Amino acid sequence: MSEPLSKIPDGMRYYTGPEARLRRSVEEIVMSVFEGWSYEEITTPTVDYYSLFEHGMGSSQAHRAFRFTDSDGRMLALRPDITSGVARAAVTMFAKRQRPLRLCYAAKVFRQQPQSHAEWRRESTQAGCELLGSNTIAADLEVLAIASEILQRLGLGGEHLITLNDVGVFKGIAAGLALDAGSRDQMRQLVDSRNAADLERFLVDQAFPPDECRALVQLTQISGKRDTLESARLAITNAGPAEALDRLDRLWETIELLDLQEQFEIDLGDVAKLDYYTGLTFNIYVNGAAARIGSGGRYDGLTAAFGNAEPAIGFVLDLDALTTVLLARSQDEIFPPDPDRRLSHTTNSDPALLFREAMKKRADGERVLINFER
Amino acid sequence: MQRLTIALAKGRLQTETLELLGRAGVTVSSEMLATRRLAVEDESGRYRFIFVKPADVPVYVEHGIADCGVVGRDVLLESDADVLQRLTLEIGRCRMVVAAPSDLSWDNYGMVRVATKYPRVTAQHFGARGLSVEIIELSGSVEVAPLLGLADCIVDLVETGRTLRENGLQIVEVIAESTARLVINRASYQLKAAAVADLIDALGEPVNQESEFVLPPSGGSS
Repeated sequence: MSEPLSKIPDGMRYYTGPEARLRRSVEEIVMSVFEGWSYEEITTPTVDYYSLFEHGMGSSQAHRAFRFTDSDGRMLALRPDITSGVARAAVTMFAKRQRPLRLCYAAKVFRQQPQSHAEWRRESTQAGCELLGSNTIAADLEVLAIASEILQRLGLGGEHLITLNDVGVFKGIAAGLALDAGSRDQMRQLVDSRNAADLERFLVDQAFPPDECRALVQLTQISGKRDTLESARLAITNAGPAEALDRLDRLWETIELLDLQEQFEIDLGDVAKLDYYTGLTFNIYVNGAAARIGSGGRYDGLTAAFGNAEPAIGFVLDLDALTTVLLARSQDEIFPPDPDRRLSHTTNSDPALLFREAMKKRADGERVLINFER
Repeated sequence: MQRLTIALAKGRLQTETLELLGRAGVTVSSEMLATRRLAVEDESGRYRFIFVKPADVPVYVEHGIADCGVVGRDVLLESDADVLQRLTLEIGRCRMVVAAPSDLSWDNYGMVRVATKYPRVTAQHFGARGLSVEIIELSGSVEVAPLLGLADCIVDLVETGRTLRENGLQIVEVIAESTARLVINRASYQLKAAAVADLIDALGEPVNQESEFVLPPSGGSS
């Protein structure tokens, strides 16, 4: 049976009217902040080899890409992420460029999604930035400051929260345990959903040492401001995660010195994309959105896949989710309803005269609306 | 203090959850409940409760319409909603089991026909042991399916086991023990952290107190 032509594929949509205009304004504001911090715009290919994303995102994420084959039989994909393409460009095209390298983008990504979820659009717009070539706390702070500025400029100051974690905490605890990839991921999921009850059952079944078990269960419970790190040090006594906790401590210290602590929180249970990130990770939440509207972190291992290992950190914002949040609130000061230009109705039965007049008005910067005789 | 919207699974679990909250001083007036409205407030005005079908609780929570929900682990196993399961409650205890007319020996089956309301759990359970299953999804009275020859066995929830016995079925395997869970929307967990922490305190202590892995609260704002 054939589908009617009126049907739109699941997870795809139109943007029109005020929503389309708002979306463009949001993109412009985000890109202007990136530019203000000296990030250079880059556009990656929409269609690329599947293997790029397999290396860049890990196969568990990359398999969500829409895939098809090239004329020579190689597997292609509609890009499911931008970072992979940027990282490849950094170590190839920009190999000789001075570091740190700062790149930014706003573009569509395409992912297959299970339909039941809250965010199941299959085409979405990501705006993001990548800072390559530095593994200092200053680099971490730079991207956090950019994320914070963007939210302020979008009128979401005080409405947002950025949660911080370092994947070294979880990895440090798990390193001492003999785990196959499947069990490790099961354990990660249980921590990520803060499911202490099932996590305990899992740990008891695996007969792990009590120190590690206690530390892992604690991860599901600990979130908050600086006192979080003190609680974590008391609860997590094994040596593995100590370095990561120190890094978070130093970062938090600077956040407090900058008086930004209201916007941030530490959340050791956030272990969503463990295989991708190597240090700091963060998630961005905004009142009015049911899921995170942005996420980022340090991925020092990624560029090695393209031939040259270098430290990197970056984040992406879901522009469509941000637009939905902003559309629901009054944002007139930030996004003026309509440009203040005179609308000139133009009617004339002689097309040459009609267009001479219209083109003159356009040259004067007026908005023109031509009324055709039907 | 921010107000929380809490989705409750209609039925017995709803009553038990409200009792549990009542003990912590969160009360909904009986007049309010008697109105049979689908959304009611507690007397302090800090909580709004919405009453929905059990399987819809994780849906409302994942989409952020409700900040939190109380629902059985059985429902969560069947749902693939991305919600936080921060707290286990000692109410709504039941088991998800495989039940059959006699003690089945799986060796004799090239393909097992299973009647159930839980296709996802069923597929996972039999898939993990490498058995082929034909899942026959029913919406009620699953126990009669083997009797009528529709299926070899069933996957269903059991509280006392009486219904099974009355239909000539016995428990062959226990897939999971289930009690109620407090589930929390990911964004609400961060953005309404103080209100959520209050609710967690009201409903119970973190996990079981006898747990050897959970330290007493250390005064952190967790």
